Amino acid sequence: MEPFQFNLENYRKVLERYINTEDESSLYQAEQFSKLSMQNNILPEEIINIHIQALKDLYPELPKEIDASLNFLLETMISYGLAYQQFQTLRQKQGELESEISIAANMQQTLLSTYKPKIEGLDIGAVSVPANIMNGDYYHFVTDQNNNLGIAVADVIGKGIPAALAMSMIKYSLDSFPKTQRNPSIILENLNRVVERNVDTSMFITMFYGLFDAESSKLQYASAGHEPGFYYCAKSDEFFEITTKGMVLGVTSDSTYEQYEIEMDQEDIVILLTDGVTECRVGDQFIESDEVLKVIREYMHLPAQEAVERVYRHFEKLQDFQLRDDFTLIFLKK
Amino acid sequence: MNLNIEVNDQGLTQSVKLAGEIDAYTAPKLKEALLPLVKKANVTVIVDLEHVNYMDSTGLGVFISALKAAKEYESELKLVSLQDRVHRLFEITGLENIINIDSTVRGGK
Amino acid sequence: MSTTQTCVHIKKEWDIVGARQMGREKAKELGFGTVDQARIATAISELARNIYLYAETGKIYYEVVSDLNRVGLKIIASDNGPGISDISKMMEDGFSTSGGLGAGLPGVKRLMDDFDIDSEENNGTTITAIKWVRK
Repeated sequence: MEPFQFNLENYRKVLERYINTEDESSLYQAEQFSKLSMQNNILPEEIINIHIQALKDLYPELPKEIDASLNFLLETMISYGLAYQQFQTLRQKQGELESEISIAANMQQTLLSTYKPKIEGLDIGAVSVPANIMNGDYYHFVTDQNNNLGIAVADVIGKGIPAALAMSMIKYSLDSFPKTQRNPSIILENLNRVVERNVDTSMFITMFYGLFDAESSKLQYASAGHEPGFYYCAKSDEFFEITTKGMVLGVTSDSTYEQYEIEMDQEDIVILLTDGVTECRVGDQFIESDEVLKVIREYMHLPAQEAVERVYRHFEKLQDFQLRDDFTLIFLKK
Repeated sequence: MNLNIEVNDQGLTQSVKLAGEIDAYTAPKLKEALLPLVKKANVTVIVDLEHVNYMDSTGLGVFISALKAAKEYESELKLVSLQDRVHRLFEITGLENIINIDSTVRGGK
Repeated sequence: MSTTQTCVHIKKEWDIVGARQMGREKAKELGFGTVDQARIATAISELARNIYLYAETGKIYYEVVSDLNRVGLKIIASDNGPGISDISKMMEDGFSTSGGLGAGLPGVKRLMDDFDIDSEENNGTTITAIKWVRK
């Protein structure tokens, strides 16, 4: 016996009651019947068939025209049944894709993970949070035996999987440069050639690269079209935008990058970020950089890691916990 | 948010008026409209950004693709009437040095 | 086990209707219920339509088959058209080259019980599908 044959009896009883009384409780049972059918993968044409059978049981003298019209309806519903089955399959496929993406995201996290080094006399704080599952922002720290610190902050245009893949390429190129070669402008020149050769034309990467000399407290840096960060001078209690010149990575093969230098004094802070911070929006309103600095000022007295986390939480809340763009913020505090 | 694209075909000059926002959602639409225009030799494509109040890096990507295509097909790409916020993006990324931007006309307020 | 084969030629769109009708009659004779009759007709429709759209001409064969304890209707759709280069792709849901809402080959597979394709690029396609009478 077919599973729906078992239901035919029930269906007929409910249908009969409804025809006689037109009561709401029968309609409620019809709803239950419909849900049960879906659970058991019963197709729409089968439901119509049950209806036809039940009707014929109840009215053996069913007019020929009605009978024919119900058959017509049954034929019409066959394609709906197929579309429904197709939808089920696609839904299952979607679930599989989602789990694959989350595995990829985990893998990205492992691949791109960086440690936050301990440098005598420098307090470092860093957060990087993706808007979606995969992060298109990236930061990386390297140290050498002289306790010099190399810092890379990058942003791939676009979001999601393509951005994440491009970022892995950047990380491995960075790792392949000799440890002794940490000159920011040369690193950016080399990376530019790698990106230019390898990446799709509409894709590019912005990057800030800095080298902090622990001995002299000097920060040398260069930027490839990256969102400018800020330098907080404790003595004058002022913020300065870290202005730089330099083409984004991957657009022209022969770009060169000017190198700059800051000497950090006690309590000075270098603030590095991506446009997810400065392009933060609340509804239709952009947050002006004055407001960003106001928030930074509010928390900057805290230890660097706590400070960046508090600033992040502030903007996360401001955007109703729905980031529009990947958000990366780094404090280097003397 | 939306992006409205209006193309005015004047033969060798194609003027494109944009209004709205250029972001990850609208950029593909812009790319689809812009690329075929620059892929014709000797054509000058003028993109008017006066009414574009927001653009993110995805938008820059579209203009870079268009610029590369323009070089390849020997056409010309020109951006005019950029609002300050949009102009800043070209400035930071160094792209203002390689894209023809007429900044004498500033859009928006 | 006797096998009697009937055949309908597909040359124009109108022949699709003829192919459906033949299938429905055979199905009725074999004792298929209304729902299965409709499914068989829809499957044939899809197969005949594919021939008409992609191969221009071809044939639909009908054969009564039986094994130990059941009987069924076997439909063979055969053409000398361009063939299918990537059968797996063709069998994926959501992949339809006709651009329409056609159920496509996955639909035919769902409507029938057994399904098989034999095709080579530039060397025609033969699709075999069987529906067994439910007991």
